[in-house]
Amino acid sequence: MGINQLSTLEHILITTKVEKVMNWSRATSVWPVTFGLACCAIEMMAAGASRFDFDRFGAGIFRATPRQADLMIIAGTVTYKMAPVIKTLYDQMPEPKWVIAMGSCATAGGPFDSYHTIQGVDKIIPVDVFIPGCPPRPESLIYGFMKLQDKIMTSSLADRYKDIFEEVG
Amino acid sequence: MSEEPIVPPTPEAPAGPYVYDYAASPQRQVVMPKTVPLPSYRTYVAEVKAAAEADEAKWQKMLADFETAKAKAEAEGKDAPKPPVRPVPRKDDHDMKTPWPQEAKDDDLHRLQERLGEKVEEIFEQAGELTCQVAKEAILEALQLCREDIAMNYEMLADQTATHYSAATGFAFSVVYHLTSISRRKRLRLRILVPEGFCPESACTVYPGANWMEREIYDMLGIRFLNHPDMTRILCPEDWEGHPLRKDYPVVGWGQRDIAFREDRGGMLERIALQKAGQLGINLKQPKAE
Repeated sequence: MGINQLSTLEHILITTKVEKVMNWSRATSVWPVTFGLACCAIEMMAAGASRFDFDRFGAGIFRATPRQADLMIIAGTVTYKMAPVIKTLYDQMPEPKWVIAMGSCATAGGPFDSYHTIQGVDKIIPVDVFIPGCPPRPESLIYGFMKLQDKIMTSSLADRYKDIFEEVG
Repeated sequence: MSEEPIVPPTPEAPAGPYVYDYAASPQRQVVMPKTVPLPSYRTYVAEVKAAAEADEAKWQKMLADFETAKAKAEAEGKDAPKPPVRPVPRKDDHDMKTPWPQEAKDDDLHRLQERLGEKVEEIFEQAGELTCQVAKEAILEALQLCREDIAMNYEMLADQTATHYSAATGFAFSVVYHLTSISRRKRLRLRILVPEGFCPESACTVYPGANWMEREIYDMLGIRFLNHPDMTRILCPEDWEGHPLRKDYPVVGWGQRDIAFREDRGGMLERIALQKAGQLGINLKQPKAE
């Protein structure tokens, strides 16, 4: 009897994997942490404002605390003095969490090949998406964010916790 | 202000592993400047005099050469050589040169010299800016005079900064105080020349805004100020090594290192905590349990 009624159920039921639903919900509501370091933060603000409207992608809710955020956009130059702060903020974010390195400073130190600048934020925390530019336009940030969404959609729990699973056995 | 000046202790720099071996890469070598570009009327006058003397000596040599050549030509029976023409320096009205220091004409500078007497080392004007170089021990007195004298009335310390002159003899740094009189619409620059290791008097008692600027000078150049309320680093991290605005500090190399996120890097935080507690009269050092 169930088999006969399957065609009608197709209109009201969707079959999918739990992982896919999870990824979809995560990718479409990524909340960044309110955190800017330099001039790239201005472009990040512009991306969040009405003209570019980051909220269309579900990432417009900038949280003022890392404990409610999923994404950290490193927007600006990372100095040695700021590095422990960034690390602390990253550690305070709950899993799953992602990081975008925005601009050439956060990507590779930019023009500051100097004693006070870390040559890329990936020296202290793992980075998912690098966005080039000095500073990148809001379109670049949105494009980078969409790349991050693609990454979240194609990720799987097994991959993410592969190391832990292997360790546990 | 206390009677005996308190000399703040110099924290010892912890050693750290560096990312760059700056000595190995030739393009990252430190190039030390060989000149002392310190504007000064006295030096300028001496330079002009030396240049004029050199010019005159060159002309005399040209004349002597001409005489010998003439005598030689006469002896050999040839035509006499052409007499030399003294070269006139070319004048270019569109030449964008730095305005040279000029003799002081302003009343404030003369007033300072009159009040402080021997303590004023030099006064001059350059491009309409007034500069007064005072003895390094008398800077606080000069600042007090500038602030409190009703005829001068410099209410604001607009900027305080320093420069490292590595090639200079007799001093290593110049510390400048840019004063502004809002009521009189005037600006004045006080300058002291400080040798390595000398601690000038802090300007905080006269101008409270000097607090952070002096901390910045200490952070960047390593000049420590006497009687400063909090002589610590302001821009660099607490455990930083060296003073980056010195000429012998390499742009790449010394500060860049592998970052280790330990709780207390180099034991510096503990040291600072002990120091602060000691200032408050608390002994945090507990005897270690055996």
